[in-house]
Amino acid sequence: MGNVKIGDSLRRIEDQRFLTGRGRYIDDIKLDKQARAVVVRSPYAHARINCIDISTAEAMPGVLLIVTRDDWKREGFAPMPTKSGVQKNADGTPLKQSDRHCLAMDKAMYVGEPVALVVAETVDQAQAAAEAVDVDYEELEPVVDPVKALQPGALQLWDGIPGNLCVNFELGDRDGTDKAFAVADHVFTLDLENNRVTAAPIETRGCIAAYDSATDRYTLWNASQNAHANRDTFADVLKLDKKQVDFIAPDVGGGFGGKNSAYPEPPLCLYAAKRLGRPVKWINSRAESFLSDTHGRGQTTRVQIAVDKDGTFRALRTNTIGAIGAYAWTVGPFTPTGGAARTQGGPYHFPAMHYRGRAVFTNTMAMDPYRGAGRPEATFQTERIIEYAARKLGMDPVDLRRKNLMPPTMLPHKTPMGLDVDCGNFPLLFDETMKMVNNTGLDKLKKTAEARGRKFGFSIAPYLECTGGGAKEHAGVTFNKDGSVGLAIGTSSTGMGHETSLAQILSAQLGIDVERISFTQSDTRATPLGGGHGGSRGMEVGGNAVQQAAEEIVELAKPVAAHLLQSNANEVEFEDGRFTAGSGSVSMSDVIEASLDADKLPDGMEPGCLDHSSVFERGVISIPNGVHAAAVAVDPETGDVDITGYWVMDDFGTIINPMLADGQVMGGVAQGIGQALVENIVYDPDTGQLMTGSLMDYGLPRADDVPNMEIGYYEGAPTKKNPLGVKGAGEAGCVGACPAVVNAVLDALKDFGVIHMDMPLTPQKIWRAIKDGGKHDPEALMRDAPQ
Amino acid sequence: MPNISLTVNGALVTKSVDGRTLLVEFIRETLGLTGTHQGCDTSQCGACVVHVDGKPVKSCTMLAAQADGADVHTIESLAPEGELNPMQQAFHDHHGLQCGFCTPGMIMSAMALVRDIPDPTESQVRHGLEGNICRCTGYHNIVAAVLDGAKALRS
Repeated sequence: MGNVKIGDSLRRIEDQRFLTGRGRYIDDIKLDKQARAVVVRSPYAHARINCIDISTAEAMPGVLLIVTRDDWKREGFAPMPTKSGVQKNADGTPLKQSDRHCLAMDKAMYVGEPVALVVAETVDQAQAAAEAVDVDYEELEPVVDPVKALQPGALQLWDGIPGNLCVNFELGDRDGTDKAFAVADHVFTLDLENNRVTAAPIETRGCIAAYDSATDRYTLWNASQNAHANRDTFADVLKLDKKQVDFIAPDVGGGFGGKNSAYPEPPLCLYAAKRLGRPVKWINSRAESFLSDTHGRGQTTRVQIAVDKDGTFRALRTNTIGAIGAYAWTVGPFTPTGGAARTQGGPYHFPAMHYRGRAVFTNTMAMDPYRGAGRPEATFQTERIIEYAARKLGMDPVDLRRKNLMPPTMLPHKTPMGLDVDCGNFPLLFDETMKMVNNTGLDKLKKTAEARGRKFGFSIAPYLECTGGGAKEHAGVTFNKDGSVGLAIGTSSTGMGHETSLAQILSAQLGIDVERISFTQSDTRATPLGGGHGGSRGMEVGGNAVQQAAEEIVELAKPVAAHLLQSNANEVEFEDGRFTAGSGSVSMSDVIEASLDADKLPDGMEPGCLDHSSVFERGVISIPNGVHAAAVAVDPETGDVDITGYWVMDDFGTIINPMLADGQVMGGVAQGIGQALVENIVYDPDTGQLMTGSLMDYGLPRADDVPNMEIGYYEGAPTKKNPLGVKGAGEAGCVGACPAVVNAVLDALKDFGVIHMDMPLTPQKIWRAIKDGGKHDPEALMRDAPQ
Repeated sequence: MPNISLTVNGALVTKSVDGRTLLVEFIRETLGLTGTHQGCDTSQCGACVVHVDGKPVKSCTMLAAQADGADVHTIESLAPEGELNPMQQAFHDHHGLQCGFCTPGMIMSAMALVRDIPDPTESQVRHGLEGNICRCTGYHNIVAAVLDGAKALRS
């Protein structure tokens, strides 16, 4: 590997341990004397908890401790507040939330809410005792449907939160949008459901908590994507100084947002570890994961477009209701409000836009980030109404989209949603995508589909993205005598390959062999701050932190190089890993070696003088963008969908490692396809019971559900918002995939008059839509929503 | 508790096990071979696939006691430490893994697949890996890796 460059498809450094079964995930860690914890969870969606009798359970073999609400009340532990980016209603008043404690207090508010923690010598003993914890529940009527939850007369879930409304958010120009709608030639309205889904990483959540009484310090190993932020929250909950808690995320088996949040189980285990003086390990089962991992999407929306008879877009109006569950979780209220507002309208020129989002409490598990968190919803809303309008107008949806894209001459542009779109070339990416499509040949795909007795469909979906997550990142670099170079960062890779891509940036900038770099992430002992994972920030914030540290190290190294070259620091130039002054030159490696040897350093410099930490702070969020296109073959007899072609053109700015970028796009597309075709979290509307509580009921895409993909990049518009020019790549795949696939299927079904279906487009749903001859009420979902 | 004797990765193992202990638990907890993962509780995800008497088995579907006398191979047996076998190498070359959690099961399934079908088509690979869920890669690179790994194993 040696010295690598930005833009190389460097193979991954972390692969060796993962390929050979030597990764170290949370359940692979076994501490001396560790006890095992199991959570007692509410079987009811809404129930008063009269009393909890632990006497039988406590006396069972191996049981060490049972933690209940009584402990939590006695200790006076704090609730976990929401850190949502939207904290205020449109009228300026603060959002409303209830206390979210680690254990249900007076009432259980969703199926799966923790009621007690049982700790025993073995997991089997803890499980047996958990079943013997006798909880006296008084079952109450649940509220499951978010539209009904808002209606007058609906059961009120929380005192002091009228209408079950957490927050009412508005963005854009309401009056200007109304005016544009009033004068437009056509107005189209479509209600749609963005189905509730879950991240479902293949490794479930889990943690090990340990306490050292000699130092009064805690250590938490947690399958988490957000070490520093969650460390702070857990310390606050347990009334500890955050310096008392070390938080380490080991190898984490996928996250996709589902491991970002502050969950209740780790603080419960930290508390139990102190009580017992023994490490406490907790691993979630898959069944419990469906109940207790946060969910994503889950919006009921009315979207309206105002368009002139020549197809020119005039305005977009979106009114959405997001079911955020029983509590305002870590950032839950943000997704259906500010999160989904920002990229409304996509890369199109909409002169006027207005967005309204209401986050509503229901007796379900909470919403929190899931890959994209708002941008997939926005793109879906925008692309569905455009496709719908094209069908109603009898226009070619490809032409209608192409016509309304913002031209490059319009950039930089601040959209009516306040998004700062600095650079890009949307029409070029659109045309390049169509070139890829035409190289494959739609006619050929159509003929093949028809020869199989299938209906052919095609759609194209441009998207506009934006980054998010923590704005600051810390990169620390240390140079060791054994030749290794330590790189510590507070970002969190759960599979994205930062151990390779961030090392690649350091190697490229310093001109040192990448094999020398020893990588540490997600460890509060290694970095004083860290933004973890989320919002496609890995390269955008983390990569730039490494870049900045490297640039500063070069400056620190110049006096050392000058000393070796018998020159002056201001005469030394650095390029391609070598310092040059006049005719002499010395490599960065030699300078590093000298920096560790007092005899080779100029006066006033100490060994280790190149060790350096740097904090990068993002100014303005970046705008990844691109175009997805999908071809499908639908069997009208069975409703089965085959995706027969998939094309993507992305503008992620500078690409650090194309192989890894491809991996992000492919994985994101598969998750989008999953949501479009098979994934669905379903609660029984009457009881609030989860109907999709296992992998036998919840569909995850398998190898034969996902097609090969053709992916291209446009690197002609690196952003100036950060030094590397990167825009972020992690979430874009699932932003474009849902509308591309759904609109392609609807295109295939146009001969049957089918104009709309809500995801997931299962064979049964497609078959029924065909049989119903496209019967569709476009205003069915939001008709009864209160104003 | 019954005593069982079996061969794991070529070494004879004799242990007493609780009758309800699953093979995956025995491999992970008793033997400390943590390369075999558990991702679900309904035998859907395939992260726990090992070879039992040459056949790919989801080790969460089988009791340890049922493996008495069997020849079991886990991901740790494919190559000496520090090396990769051709299938592992192909996954590395094609970026056929991200978080790595499904990878051991995926590779064990792939090895069994190409033993049965040494020169599989893409469709056979996709169908053959139906029992293994990957949430990260979108399968594109896994399929390319298995096709390439099959080729390398043939030669």
